[in-house]
Amino acid sequence: MAFIQAVLDGLMIGGVYAVISIGLTLVFGVMGIVNFAQAEFLMLGMFVAYFAWAYLGLDPLIGSILSFIVIFCIGFLVQRTLIQRVMKAPPVAQIFLTVGLLIVIENLALLAFGSSFRSVSTSYQTSSLRIGPLFVSVPYLAAFCMAVLSGFALWLFTDRSWYGQAMRATAQNPLAARLMGIDVERMQQIAFGLGVGLTAFGGAIVLPYFTVNPTVGSQFVVLMFTAVVLGGLGNVVGAVIGGLAVGVIQSLSALLFPIQLQNLVLFLVFIGVLALRPTGLVGSSR
Amino acid sequence: MKYWPYLLAALAVAVLLPLWLAPSGYLIRVLTLALLFAALGQAWNIVGGLANQISLGHAAFFGLGAYTSTLLLINFGLSPWIGMLAAAGIGALAAFVLSFPTMRLSGHYFALATLAFSEVLRVLASSWGSVTGGPAGLSVPFSPDSLLMLQFKSTRPYYYIILAALLIVTAIFVAIRRSALGYRLRAVKESISAAEVIGVDTARVKVIASVISAALTAALGVIYAQLTYFFDPDSVFGIISISIRIALITILGGVGTAIGPIIGSFLIVPLEELANLLLSSRAAGLSQLFFGILLIAIILVQPRGVLVLIRNIVTRARRRKPS
Amino acid sequence: MTKAVTPHVRGVFATRRRVLALGAAGLAMPFVRRASAKGAPVNVGVILPLSGANAQFGVNSRNGIELVAEQINARGGIKALEGAPINLVIADSTSTPTTAATVGQRLITQNNVVAILGAYASSLTLALSEVTERRDIPLMTMSFSDQITGRGFKNIFQIIAKASVLGAAQLDGTVAIAKSAGQTLERIAIMYEDTAYGVSQAKGLRDAAGKLGIKVVMDEAYPLGITDVTPLINKLRGANAQAVFPASYLNDGLQIIRSMRQQSIAMPIIGGAGGYVIPDFRKALGEYAENVLSIAPGNYDLAPQLTDAFRKKYGYFMVHEALEHAVCLDVLAQALEIAKAADPAAVRKAMSEAEFKGGWCDAMPGGVVKFDQTGLNTHAVPMMVQWRGEDLVTVWPDQLAKAKPVWSAA
Repeated sequence: MAFIQAVLDGLMIGGVYAVISIGLTLVFGVMGIVNFAQAEFLMLGMFVAYFAWAYLGLDPLIGSILSFIVIFCIGFLVQRTLIQRVMKAPPVAQIFLTVGLLIVIENLALLAFGSSFRSVSTSYQTSSLRIGPLFVSVPYLAAFCMAVLSGFALWLFTDRSWYGQAMRATAQNPLAARLMGIDVERMQQIAFGLGVGLTAFGGAIVLPYFTVNPTVGSQFVVLMFTAVVLGGLGNVVGAVIGGLAVGVIQSLSALLFPIQLQNLVLFLVFIGVLALRPTGLVGSSR
Repeated sequence: MKYWPYLLAALAVAVLLPLWLAPSGYLIRVLTLALLFAALGQAWNIVGGLANQISLGHAAFFGLGAYTSTLLLINFGLSPWIGMLAAAGIGALAAFVLSFPTMRLSGHYFALATLAFSEVLRVLASSWGSVTGGPAGLSVPFSPDSLLMLQFKSTRPYYYIILAALLIVTAIFVAIRRSALGYRLRAVKESISAAEVIGVDTARVKVIASVISAALTAALGVIYAQLTYFFDPDSVFGIISISIRIALITILGGVGTAIGPIIGSFLIVPLEELANLLLSSRAAGLSQLFFGILLIAIILVQPRGVLVLIRNIVTRARRRKPS
Repeated sequence: MTKAVTPHVRGVFATRRRVLALGAAGLAMPFVRRASAKGAPVNVGVILPLSGANAQFGVNSRNGIELVAEQINARGGIKALEGAPINLVIADSTSTPTTAATVGQRLITQNNVVAILGAYASSLTLALSEVTERRDIPLMTMSFSDQITGRGFKNIFQIIAKASVLGAAQLDGTVAIAKSAGQTLERIAIMYEDTAYGVSQAKGLRDAAGKLGIKVVMDEAYPLGITDVTPLINKLRGANAQAVFPASYLNDGLQIIRSMRQQSIAMPIIGGAGGYVIPDFRKALGEYAENVLSIAPGNYDLAPQLTDAFRKKYGYFMVHEALEHAVCLDVLAQALEIAKAADPAAVRKAMSEAEFKGGWCDAMPGGVVKFDQTGLNTHAVPMMVQWRGEDLVTVWPDQLAKAKPVWSAA
């Protein structure tokens, strides 16, 4: 029974991890860049949703859409002004540009919002449903549902819309895409905006049970990167499966090992996957 | 080489300067830290510069070094010099072990794997409290001024020890670069497949480089512990405070060059101090923000580092002069 | 709303030019004389984490110090030094111990500080103290890791009880409160975040439980940045404890309390200070914060006549780290009066020998501060506090209590 509860909890939080990770893998998939600053956009998304709640009274689950839009625009601009310039530079330069971005965003947030932790209060924060002997936390369930909805929306976009298909083409082969008349730079800007926007969305939907402060990004970095690597860098479906897997692994490891070591388990899985199947456990890609 | 006179002059300055500074003052401490990070950068340069393997987890070896010698000192009273040998051995072993899962990785994947490895060690150091002292960290037991125990009240002796360390690491770097190993590393850097074709054992070559680099980094970790007298898992296994900083220093200075890490360190360390000095009391986060903006600016202007930037400026200036 | 930028205080009598000249002289000459002229400002170093994860607490602490500095300067500065004003030299330790130490070195050499207050987090304070001890500059702190006073240092002054004492008091207080409500405590659950703060608190609790023969049915550490506490709460549910003792900061603390509610786990919660005793805790939980207990090294309701000034100035009640740092500065000022010189050695002597009363010492238990040879304030007594509405009320020990404790299953 404890096992089933753990799996259930793991899947629900895994859904959120999945949304957060899709963003990271999307950026790598289309542009080949590992964005070390990804978690900072998560933090920004949380702040947007927080202020939407504090000043407009919007529940964070609705505010998350606003987060997505705002961070998408910011991401678009960041790609255009900064990241674009290192697209052709060696990986070293790309890595350190995003590291610099990480430092800048975190400290800008510190200057703008201050260091205190902000939390929202919603009506459902402390409720849960009971299904037999199992507990289902309502905020988790709500976040999971939003995650599923966003996944569906993303699928519609990439599979059914022209922009989505153009993005996939750019990811597969930028030169061919350009020859087909696709504005590759524009696609990369959209992809980056989409990527960080999704991660920001993911941050906003966990706001009901999480607090936000400029340093909150670092708490999700391990999870994001493990999920993405598990699923294969660049593989969106992989990121979903990776996210769910990370949630379940985290949850189950608590049954066997001290909770303090849960990150250790994840790291070892991370290294193991990189060693044995760097392209991820799901299918083959890049 | 036409640079010899400049190098000798610089060395003379480096040796004589501390005699003018307060032996336990602020300036000498900043210089000592700059020398330490220059040495660390140089050790990193062996893998990052010569082998082109961007490791973001060198803190793993640094921390292993600090913990090994300090635990030996606390539990057995062993001199940190012996501790340094042990640390180098353990660092080398760790690099060897790490090379197995990371053998076929490169670029982003390699960076991520090394990062994960240092984090594993950090979590272990933090949770294995009975052995490592846990998150509270370790204090180096006090002993009166002694070369044998590598402990001094004033900063000046540390300055000279670390200066010597920097010279040794730089000498090793240059020696490798010029040696057969260096040729093979360059071949690997240019193109792994081509290197394999001409018979270079790419795996062995990469492992040797990383083992040497790790051993040196671990030894420097010992000196760090003796300098600061206290450390905890976050300070020696820190991603941003150690791993990224080391890589950054070398890259900004000019990765792959012998002088790069030195330039990088003497740029970054004093700059961070200056930013803290001027900005930290005004508003929280301002000094770090400034640092991040600077980093982005340098990457955008000249990703190959300050050395190349300076060379370009000098070349352009020479071109403008009437010949 | 929190202020993002707070300029640091300058002494009333120091003109800009004089301070700039002092600073320029300090930068130009590494060898700076220690003697201070008549009425010249006394430089006091303040090293706190103003950026990074502990920024909030660093800022709170700084606010407390600035309040007292203003008060001292407003009433004429240090009388024994001809009205010399206190000049705070504030610097960000960042969250890296090495930086904290280097900053300490800088303040000692360049700014000629007579003493340093800092650095909130034990690891920062430990690193900083290695510098101050070797330069013979007094360091005053409210960090409470046992290590701080356990190294035989002569220049360290810790204003509150150490971690093991806090942990033991947390249990003793709880046992006493439970008993007064008619319940004998036999089985407890301990959960703690895995940095020095949580680990040392938990050890204190564990050792105390062992001595009292109380069974610890759950004893779990969790990573500080935990994103999902359900495994922790699931374990709690199955542990059959009578009370839970979480040592958490805010983010994890809120998750724990909310999760407990979700799963309808009703038992008294006794927090380990940290995130349980700040206004944000109450703001986030609303009515669910009611009656949550916590251990605290200090509390503002011991001296409302002093701490209300803080609330008026900054808009929130005086959190314990602000209060303790405020007391530190007041004690330093009193030590300067006794020493009659802005000389670190004289100040150190005064601090280790004198008994400090009055002023902000009224906000400490017993109204007295006296340091023993290891640097610990022998009169520091931890207290149990409880949330009543928007306020934290001291409920134990009886001689300090302002209200009767409520022992309720939350």
